[in-house]
Amino acid sequence: MLDLLLDPSFAASIPRFVTPILLAALGGALCERAGVFNIALEGFLLTGAFAAVLGAYYSGTPYLGAAAAMAAGMAMGLVFAEFNLRRDGDAIVVSIAINLLAAGLTTFLLRAIFNVTGAFSDPAIVGFGAIRLPLIEDIPVLGPMLSGQSILFYAALASVPVLHVFLARHRLGLRIRAAGENAEALRAGGVSPRRVQLLALVGCGALCGLGGAQLSIANVNLFVENMSAGRGWIAVVAVLLTRGRPWPLFCIALLFGAVDSLSFRVQGMGLAQQFTDMMPYLATLTVLIVLSWWRARRARGDVS
Amino acid sequence: MRIALNGVTVRFGLVTAVDGVSLGIEPGEIHALVGENGAGKSTLMNMLFGLVKPADGTIVIDGVERRWASPQDAIRAGLGMVHQHFMLQDSMSVLENIVLCAEPVGRFGFVDFARARARLDAIAESHGVSVDLDGQLGRLSVGERQAVEILKVLYREADLLILDEPTAVLTPQEKDRLFDTLRSFRAAGKAIVLITHKLDEVMEIADRVSVMRAGRLVASAPLAETSKEEIARGIVGGVLPAPRARRAQKPGEVVLSVDALTVARRGRDVGPVSFDLRAGEIVGIAGVSGNGQAELVRALTGLERPRSGAVSLRGERIEGRSVGERRSLGLSYIPEDRQRMGLALGASVSDNASAGRDDRRSFAAGPFLKLSAMARFARTLIENYRIRVAGPRARAATMSGGNKQKLVVGRELSRATPLVIAENPTWGVDIGAIDFIHGELMRMRDAGHAILLISTELDEVIALSDRILVMYDGVVSGEVAGGEASRERVGALMTSRAAAPSGPEGMGEVA
Repeated sequence: MLDLLLDPSFAASIPRFVTPILLAALGGALCERAGVFNIALEGFLLTGAFAAVLGAYYSGTPYLGAAAAMAAGMAMGLVFAEFNLRRDGDAIVVSIAINLLAAGLTTFLLRAIFNVTGAFSDPAIVGFGAIRLPLIEDIPVLGPMLSGQSILFYAALASVPVLHVFLARHRLGLRIRAAGENAEALRAGGVSPRRVQLLALVGCGALCGLGGAQLSIANVNLFVENMSAGRGWIAVVAVLLTRGRPWPLFCIALLFGAVDSLSFRVQGMGLAQQFTDMMPYLATLTVLIVLSWWRARRARGDVS
Repeated sequence: MRIALNGVTVRFGLVTAVDGVSLGIEPGEIHALVGENGAGKSTLMNMLFGLVKPADGTIVIDGVERRWASPQDAIRAGLGMVHQHFMLQDSMSVLENIVLCAEPVGRFGFVDFARARARLDAIAESHGVSVDLDGQLGRLSVGERQAVEILKVLYREADLLILDEPTAVLTPQEKDRLFDTLRSFRAAGKAIVLITHKLDEVMEIADRVSVMRAGRLVASAPLAETSKEEIARGIVGGVLPAPRARRAQKPGEVVLSVDALTVARRGRDVGPVSFDLRAGEIVGIAGVSGNGQAELVRALTGLERPRSGAVSLRGERIEGRSVGERRSLGLSYIPEDRQRMGLALGASVSDNASAGRDDRRSFAAGPFLKLSAMARFARTLIENYRIRVAGPRARAATMSGGNKQKLVVGRELSRATPLVIAENPTWGVDIGAIDFIHGELMRMRDAGHAILLISTELDEVIALSDRILVMYDGVVSGEVAGGEASRERVGALMTSRAAAPSGPEGMGEVA
């Protein structure tokens, strides 16, 4: 088991699992802090993954693929805003609708545009290459993890401190936090909380779109129906556990990503796939239990 | 800044909250706006501030007619408002709270906190209002929060300052400090509108008084040309309630016994607190809010498990019992927060009136509720407690604050339990309703019920209590007999433990 954990190819695979979860969770954090209960991250991710393939296939460059993914994610954010903010639809209902819509829409467009079912792969889909970092790649264990990843991984890493500073010191960040905590105060100050929440949703869509691009044009160069496979939900859990704070979010995303990656690894070791598929969710449950136990302890005042 | 409101009318659906009000506000003047809850004072000011749109009428500022699309327009025009419920963010720092919505921005839209800090330092110097800018707002006292609200208004360079019941939550010392600040604004030529219930404060500080009743302006005059009695008559629209006489009465058996009760709290635990409460007496618990009263009440009512100690209700130990068990053993509770704990705002008056009683035979047949019996009961409460509401089927949210509170008080007192715990029962309620609620509590006492009155309103505690326990820093810092209580004596105990008498006087019940 230890051999496995120290295996460079295992370390190298972790970022591929971490990136989509982290990007989606950072987007979710924007919504969480703005007081928008967005559990449609799964749908946002899936839409992004599809749009990335679409963009990369027609433009021949992964950058336009990623741009298309962001645009598609932002469009989903606008759809969410239209129904939740403007038409006052319940956030859970809107989320479920968007998740179902994304699954249906991508499947439909797969047939309509590429004329295939199930999966679409084509040499014309140009994905992101690995970026090798000299010197860093020679560090044991950490080297293969940090070097040789897609640009989206580095973007995701950079987004953590950026989001942290944004929320702490940027005008919009301040207003996003206010919208989530006491929106009435924002209104009394002459700022429309809904506008702030709309911007948070659009930002969330952009980040989720990038997460989707990692799935379809960085990890592989193809789109498979429902290829987000629950990662958006894991991101939702990460957001709720950390109440949308970027650094704790990063730690949780790292943990989930690692377990996700591990579950693929141990499949090769004779463990039943049904069990290994459960692993990310078991990890989620474990974290939930540990955190709630810890919070209850703290609330009782046993720990200062 | 000279403001004139001309024939302003505000409607919420079919209800006319403000009805053709014309009012002038002059610079360098403190203008008190008084009236019962639901008289339309706050609505009128919310309209002036752009939070509510008028159905009719105009706002004229310095001779120019103005229309607000949002409060942002009003703020830009130099209006500032300190709302009754503070518009603050608990998790943010004081500095972040002050700049929010008026952030000085540098490059890429990042907030230039250094610039804001420099301006606030200058403001603190010229007006004598200062709060630690880096402190987290959630940790501040109510008085400090209000100072933050005032700094917000100053930071925006407002020329008109509207304060909606600013003193409702302040200690006497905090109130004095606030009034000093307001006087300095007046001297600086700013216009100030003070919405309040407290006529003593009007007499103390106002230059001009306007009285509203049922949405209409019934009087507006310089303070010198009117009197406290005249203002009070204007508010209630008729004869004033007589001051309350206390009937002497020998307390009966012990109803509630609290022995060395401690309750967990962040920082220092509350307690140990010990006292007895007998039938036919009102024991008041005074203290500046945040000194352990809330935790004590939560432990007594069963909302929170105490850490240690014993609580007995009519001889039966209840500290481990649930809220429901305690209530059926004979406890009623008027919570401080009628919006969240006292009522279900989305439910009907009828549902609220019989809440907690649906297990009774009179309101339920098996698993089914007797809706007509519930409505009948609600109608009785509406009549007996003179609650102004459309009817039993109206939603609780449609009532004004005072009427909501009357419904809670009515529901709890009509259970006629041996013990009543009343927590700030007249918070934010108008004169008429205060008098009514006080009367009901006295009536219960005279009928032999034991009443524990927790209140941050010193006058209320002194007026009603047979004995007063003062809480400071989580413990009872002293006890004063009701007859001997004065504001100064109780006030001293409220602010320091050192002032607590160590002798036998009144401390007999305190272990």
